[in-house]
Amino acid sequence: MRFAVDVGGTFSDLVVEDDEGRFHGFKAPTTPGDPATGVLAAVARAAESFGTDTATLLGRGSVFIHATTRALNAILTGTTAKTAFLTTAGHPDILLFREGGRTDLFDYTRPFPDPYVPRSLTFEVPERIWSDGRVLKLLDTAALDRIIDRLAALEVEAVGVSLLWSIINPAHEIAVGKVLAERLPNVAVTLSHQLNPILREYRRASSTCIDASLKPIMGPYLTDLDARLRGAGFEGRILGVTSQGGVVETGMLAAAPIHAINSGPSLAPLAGRAYARADSGRDTAIVTDSGGTSFDVSFVRRGEIPWTADSWIGPPFRGHLVGFPSVEVKWIGAGGGSIARVDAGGLLAVGPESAGAEPGPACYGRGGTRPTVTDAALALGYLDPGHFLGGRLALDVAAARAAIDRDVAEPLNVTTEDAAAAMLSLATERMVAAIEDITINRGVDPSQAVLVGGGGSAGFTAVAIARRLGCAEVVIPSTGATLSAAGALLSTLSAEFRTLAPQRSDRFDAAAVTTVLADLAARAAAFAAGPGAGSLGHSVRFSVEARYVQQAWDIETELADGAAIDAAGVARLVDAFHRTHEELFAVSDPDSAVEFLTWSARVACRLRPEADDAPALASGTPQPASRRRAYFAGHGWCDAAVRAFGDLAEPVTGPAIVESAFTTVVVPPGATARGSDSGGIVITPGMAR
Amino acid sequence: MSREDTAMLDRPNETAVDAGATPTAVELAIFNSRMESITRRMANTMLRTGRSGVINTARDFSCSLVTATGELLSVSEGFPIHMLRGADLMAQCMAEMHPVLLRGDAYLHNSPYHGNSHAADHTVIVPVVDDDGVHRFSVLAKAHVADCGNALPTTYMGAARDVYAEGALIFPATKIQSDYRHIDDIVRMCRMRIRVPDQWWGDYLAALGAARVAEREVLKLGAELGWDRFHALERAWFDYSEQRMIAAIRKLPGGRASAENAHDPFPGTPADGIRIRADVAVDPEAARIVIDLTDNPDCMPCGLNLSEGTATSGALCGVFDSIEPGVPANAGSYRRIDVKLRRNCVVGIPEHPTSTSVATTNLADRLVNAVQRAFASLGDGIGMADASGSSLPPSCGVVSGFDPRADGAAFINVVILGAGGGPGTPVTDGWLTIACMGNAGMPFYDSIELDELHQPIVVQARRLRTDGEGAGRFRGAPGAEIEYGPVDCDVEVGFACDGVVHPAQGVRGGGPGALAEAYLRRADGSLEALPGSSQLIVKEGESLVSLTAGGGGYGPAVERPPASVARDVVEGWVSRERAEAVYGVVLTASGSVDSAATERRRAGLAAGG
Repeated sequence: MRFAVDVGGTFSDLVVEDDEGRFHGFKAPTTPGDPATGVLAAVARAAESFGTDTATLLGRGSVFIHATTRALNAILTGTTAKTAFLTTAGHPDILLFREGGRTDLFDYTRPFPDPYVPRSLTFEVPERIWSDGRVLKLLDTAALDRIIDRLAALEVEAVGVSLLWSIINPAHEIAVGKVLAERLPNVAVTLSHQLNPILREYRRASSTCIDASLKPIMGPYLTDLDARLRGAGFEGRILGVTSQGGVVETGMLAAAPIHAINSGPSLAPLAGRAYARADSGRDTAIVTDSGGTSFDVSFVRRGEIPWTADSWIGPPFRGHLVGFPSVEVKWIGAGGGSIARVDAGGLLAVGPESAGAEPGPACYGRGGTRPTVTDAALALGYLDPGHFLGGRLALDVAAARAAIDRDVAEPLNVTTEDAAAAMLSLATERMVAAIEDITINRGVDPSQAVLVGGGGSAGFTAVAIARRLGCAEVVIPSTGATLSAAGALLSTLSAEFRTLAPQRSDRFDAAAVTTVLADLAARAAAFAAGPGAGSLGHSVRFSVEARYVQQAWDIETELADGAAIDAAGVARLVDAFHRTHEELFAVSDPDSAVEFLTWSARVACRLRPEADDAPALASGTPQPASRRRAYFAGHGWCDAAVRAFGDLAEPVTGPAIVESAFTTVVVPPGATARGSDSGGIVITPGMAR
Repeated sequence: MSREDTAMLDRPNETAVDAGATPTAVELAIFNSRMESITRRMANTMLRTGRSGVINTARDFSCSLVTATGELLSVSEGFPIHMLRGADLMAQCMAEMHPVLLRGDAYLHNSPYHGNSHAADHTVIVPVVDDDGVHRFSVLAKAHVADCGNALPTTYMGAARDVYAEGALIFPATKIQSDYRHIDDIVRMCRMRIRVPDQWWGDYLAALGAARVAEREVLKLGAELGWDRFHALERAWFDYSEQRMIAAIRKLPGGRASAENAHDPFPGTPADGIRIRADVAVDPEAARIVIDLTDNPDCMPCGLNLSEGTATSGALCGVFDSIEPGVPANAGSYRRIDVKLRRNCVVGIPEHPTSTSVATTNLADRLVNAVQRAFASLGDGIGMADASGSSLPPSCGVVSGFDPRADGAAFINVVILGAGGGPGTPVTDGWLTIACMGNAGMPFYDSIELDELHQPIVVQARRLRTDGEGAGRFRGAPGAEIEYGPVDCDVEVGFACDGVVHPAQGVRGGGPGALAEAYLRRADGSLEALPGSSQLIVKEGESLVSLTAGGGGYGPAVERPPASVARDVVEGWVSRERAEAVYGVVLTASGSVDSAATERRRAGLAAGG
């Protein structure tokens, strides 16, 4: 038996995989002050469902996987450790200037963002190394000592050290680390060349300081969780989820907690891929996760989990760059709580402003007065006012209609229903734009994909999005609300090793690269034999960041021949690069030399048999079939069939509504829904009629 | 008013296409979202595939969609000075010069006498032609290339007396592709005149790729909607944009205001530089704005003259900086703004062979600043102070030479190591990395490691310039201190730094930003001051020191909240001494505000002490 828990902002989702490989989902409220309590509450609910007690249930487990937004929340709420930044003399403002850049051209109402570490906690270390590794200025150890005196006096809790060109010659960084360890043994330290040996000083310094600032927070937290699970009877292995969508020993996560930042959302694509394969037989999927305020989307292409090199905490240019590649999940402010308004020119807009959980949509009756997407869904009859969230919250239809009338219908001079339908259309369009951004803008056609709709409010717009993009099928997993936790059980124990070794295709040093790759292969093998021991097999993939000479942005190109590289292999690598460039950007330049920078090896150890079997999720309580009045643009009010998840042995044709305690799926006229083996539903969108 | 004398932006609504029902608000929003997604995709292609730093880091490019009748419909987030006006003029020129436009054509256009900004901005224009051979639309991808074949290795020839002294090849909408194949004659001409031609070729491919991607998308959308519906939506989007502009203007106080500004003296200018003025009239009731630039000097024998595109864009940029954010910039919203220009005027319409080599930055920025400062004088809460004014300092120089690490291969690039600070606004302090108002702070700053890898240079320092800000209720942003020099060789550097003589001015009682300074540090450590417009060889062991200018402040410095001043001191933006002398804020030894002493000091300042 295996467990995975995703500790979110509101709920802790638990998925238990029984010994037959079936998944069972549970939820308990998150307890932010003491997260382990919420986790154990979810385990207690599972124990009850399995007819046993917590200790017995945990005692049967071999693995407990844990994803958390704690690291991210600490950064967003400014509760990380007091952190200092040590930089090369002359360059104190690496974190302040960032990489420049600005958006929203004519909107000067936003202030310039603060650096991750304030200038008053930034210290310039006299030293300098150049791009070829030579020492231009020796490390001034006396000056370093004075800096450390200041750090002690200021009682800093963590130090990030990122010196220019430490990636080529780490001698000075190592020396600084040594003195810090001697003189400030209780202060957490991160050295940039060890954590993240990448070119570009801002990205590396940002990684380094973020990581250092999280160590004093995440270390004790992970230790506590470990002790509490042990105390409750768990004797198996405890693993943590990384932003790369893999799992690692919690000790490794405590040593480099920056990898926990995108811990939860990184798993949705993994789960989405599994459901796309199981329920639709497709390898290419648009995986969406729609909640109250945000719409997360990722694109799985031919079974590949998407990656990004530019992962920001906060908005681009105004947030902080993480500096590590991570699973790419695009986020926009659109969800059930998105607010609609009509602007001065008479144009309707929906979101990104959200009513959130408090005050919430007008129909919640908690003080919200502005119309939201949820209000629109209620006004159109899609939501059952008496059975929202399993009947725990009664919805006020009159309040929803009044808000829509006042803010949308009257300014546009249309009916309430047309206004509500327009709100959903526009929300749909914004979601489509987000999807296009990660598909069409990269030269990929989304119509080849199946749309996987996860999250509580996916069902309002999933079919409309699929129609707009031309997708052949929509898959709604039975417990989309626990998509990330389900993904944790499908993930692999993984690690990535990287080395900067600049090369050009027209003067390629194959021997040097062979040495680099052999070193990476050895480190990957050591991981597989160490933390990966006992897994069900492992794979290692090699890749390199490549670009045309003089370009500034790289394309990750896989080394098809693994760690072996010879003249023919270089030619194949260059060909692969030209092809990818043409595919992405409509042009290639076969006469140009190609430049290679960072070489990497990614090792993945399988914890679960590699099978496309449907990870079946226990279905909800069946409800009696019924009918409800619902409004569809172009059709007006219709008599819609209402079915429960798991009650679709016979397909149902729209207009229809499929419900569970946590979600509502709209099946408009022209669409057909059927039940899937995994307990979810599969919809053929058809054409809007 | 004839076009002879002015550039009128309110074109008549000439093509009232009847294509079914009036577009609904939802349909229109979706149409706009589709247009924006096309320009975003173009911009992404440019950024990720461009070869020179000025494209792939400074983001000195823009992507535009123009109707068949030559009206600007949509632009990517690009430099305002590039894009607000110009794409439309260039597309009109293409159609006039080439009455028969065929699918598969592409045109190279960089003529500042035909709508382009300056010769270094190479634009690829692709006419979108439907299946019946009708020209429906034009897409434009414009990028600043690292070299354009000037007489000196720089794209900013501040001292050029005319276009012949610039030396760049000029292409007035010259056909470079036919039936999707290159016209090699043109490509060979470029390769013979442009330095590091492979780099130019890569940049050209980036622009061509962006334009071709957009062509494909527009054709798809036209087929999907039907061209008549497509054109009806264009009209509706213009009408909507006009309504947004009307609403924005009605929120402004009415009246007339003028502001003056001055560019530093350069070779070919009067001894105290170029003095310009902007006369602004706002009529909220009629919902119109007039920017009159006709009362300004004639063109000068130097490279600082603006082109028609940048003069109009500069005026419009000042307007958009001063009204509420969110009004779409296109031919629809422009119907409400008249920009009056004069022929042969330094901020007007230059005539061939006047040089406009530096038309996108220096004087253009002085113009934008004058306009937004004129708005500020209409009332508290609108307009802005001046941005730094230190356009093109040594820290943004064009660096060239021969790289000893690459067997002496030639290199040329614009480094963007750092630039001046942004203006104080009614609600925020200046944006630190603004560079110019005309580029709205969009450029990325170079990575020092990447620069040292690409050029044989070392960057000794890049840091914020303490006390460089224009003081104010909302202060301007300070500039930066940057020092760099060659390693194992000599390098040639060109720059055209404004703001050494004339500072960025504050507004509504705000103070001026610090002046820019430029030095050569000799091998013995001594500093030699350099003129703002320089082209020099920096030898091994020497370095350039660039202190960039600060932005002006908005409102009186004594109105700045003492806690904000204390924070600036703790963070090292402002010295303790300046806090006391200029802001009237006295701090305790621990850095917190001494309220009683501050009150006394501020009272003293008010009394003239």
